[in-house]
Amino acid sequence: MADTDGRDPGPRPPDHGPGAWVPLGAATAVTVLLVTVWPLLNAALPDTEPVRSGQALRVGSEGGYDAALTFERGGWELHPAASTADRSYLFSRGPVELTVRSVVPVEETPPSATELWHGLGRIVRTEDPDARLGDPRPVAADAGAPGLTGPLSGDEDGVAALYPSPDGVFAVQLVLSGPDATPADLAAVEDVVRSIAFSEGGSA
Amino acid sequence: MTEAPREPRGPAPAPQGPHRLPALVGAVVIATACLAGLVLQVVQFTGHIRVFPWAAVLALAFAAATFAFGFWILRRIRPVRAPDPVPSAVAAVWGMTAATGAGIVANGGLSAVWSKLLGLDVTGAWDAALTAPVNEELLKLAGIVLVAVVFPRALRDPVDGFVLGALVGLGFEVSENLVYAFQAVTRAGATDPALAVATTTVVRVGLTGLGSHWAMSAVAGTAVGLLAAARWRPERRRAVLAALLVLLAMGQHWLLDAPLFGEGIAAVLVKVAAVFASTMAVYVLVRRSYRRRMRRALAAEGEAVGMRRSAAVALVTRHGRLRAAQDVARPEQPAVLDRQERMLAAAEDRAALDGT
Repeated sequence: MADTDGRDPGPRPPDHGPGAWVPLGAATAVTVLLVTVWPLLNAALPDTEPVRSGQALRVGSEGGYDAALTFERGGWELHPAASTADRSYLFSRGPVELTVRSVVPVEETPPSATELWHGLGRIVRTEDPDARLGDPRPVAADAGAPGLTGPLSGDEDGVAALYPSPDGVFAVQLVLSGPDATPADLAAVEDVVRSIAFSEGGSA
Repeated sequence: MTEAPREPRGPAPAPQGPHRLPALVGAVVIATACLAGLVLQVVQFTGHIRVFPWAAVLALAFAAATFAFGFWILRRIRPVRAPDPVPSAVAAVWGMTAATGAGIVANGGLSAVWSKLLGLDVTGAWDAALTAPVNEELLKLAGIVLVAVVFPRALRDPVDGFVLGALVGLGFEVSENLVYAFQAVTRAGATDPALAVATTTVVRVGLTGLGSHWAMSAVAGTAVGLLAAARWRPERRRAVLAALLVLLAMGQHWLLDAPLFGEGIAAVLVKVAAVFASTMAVYVLVRRSYRRRMRRALAAEGEAVGMRRSAAVALVTRHGRLRAAQDVARPEQPAVLDRQERMLAAAEDRAALDGT
């Protein structure tokens, strides 16, 4: 640095020149590794695990109630990577996919089943802009829980159902569909949707 | 003063030539990662924005307000003077786009691994604590390091690392709030999307905001400042201290996410208080050290230009600079402010080499 007035030029700031390659390389490498290693490790593990037939599987727990599904037929598989305990689950059996979501409305007064049905209609449209839920009709689960069911159309046709918990704190949404599933495939396993049962003892 | 004061030297010139190459490459890395992160997030939430436009507008408004307040206050807490706006903005944008986008991919991958290996019940309880402290802290930390490489003058002291780290964390926090807001709409059954957005934002800003990403990354950023101050060639003690700070940031994150002490509001408040208090302890230490070195550096710079020591040292505070400017006639104030700026810049150069 040219010093025109003859004063002490003072300290030079640290120019991070050649030494900066190390932190630059390390920061870039860490970022690239984190977005590649975990997905690759995930891909190396099996995508599904079998669901034992006859087993009741908890799919939601809020307020004073648990909700469980029972898979009477064999051949169902759980996709753990696409599932989160007590919130959302993806099951499949051949070409049929069953998506189960447990939703917890935040309103002080719990919404009606019809309002929950409209909410489900919006949720399915976030994934498929063409998805539409048909008019619902009342349905009762095998264990007696009242709910609504109706047809789903869009990229994938299917069947949707919705069961509020007895205290209205949460509701279970079930969607049966699959890109290659035929109406006959869906009809053959539709009983799993009606297997939903609520029992007391959920997380407060 | 008996002689006319000489002009302060101002900041040392920026490095030229091949020494700028790492900064240029770093800028390309930042730009690429930020763009990729932004595109990924837009693609991920297009469906929610399309179906819940008003809730999305509300979530974005909350995000903008959180960001504006955080950006102002976190720059303001830097002792002596605020960091330059460009590196500050780049730090925040890294957190908002690159770190969040990469976090979605990395967390998705690692959470899936936990779900497969540990089962859904264990993963449901421990996923956040087993995933976020590693992935998110490292992704934010990478951004702080890149900012230090691209803007070597802006991040060359632990206090710079604290502030720019906090800004990376702020950006991450704002984007994560958006992600949680969209998820909350679905989780609440989409019966009242705006209420779901408002509820989750109030919790995440009002309840956990004080001890969240900005606080953790401020601690990790302090480690980057320690290493940058040593030209990335730290002696053993400094390297150990930096590693401990990064571990502290990860530990803070783990504490906040771990399902310990129950899930009630009291437990959350205790955890948030612990994170905030430990971050403030780091802040007090780096602030005190920096102000001490800046007072010394200002005294030396003042001596070089024939300025009284007390007048030179008074420039260390915003209040002191304002008073010095008000002591002269209004037409002379711009020149005084300019001299102050140049003296501060020269003192910062000197303080940067004065041991941290």
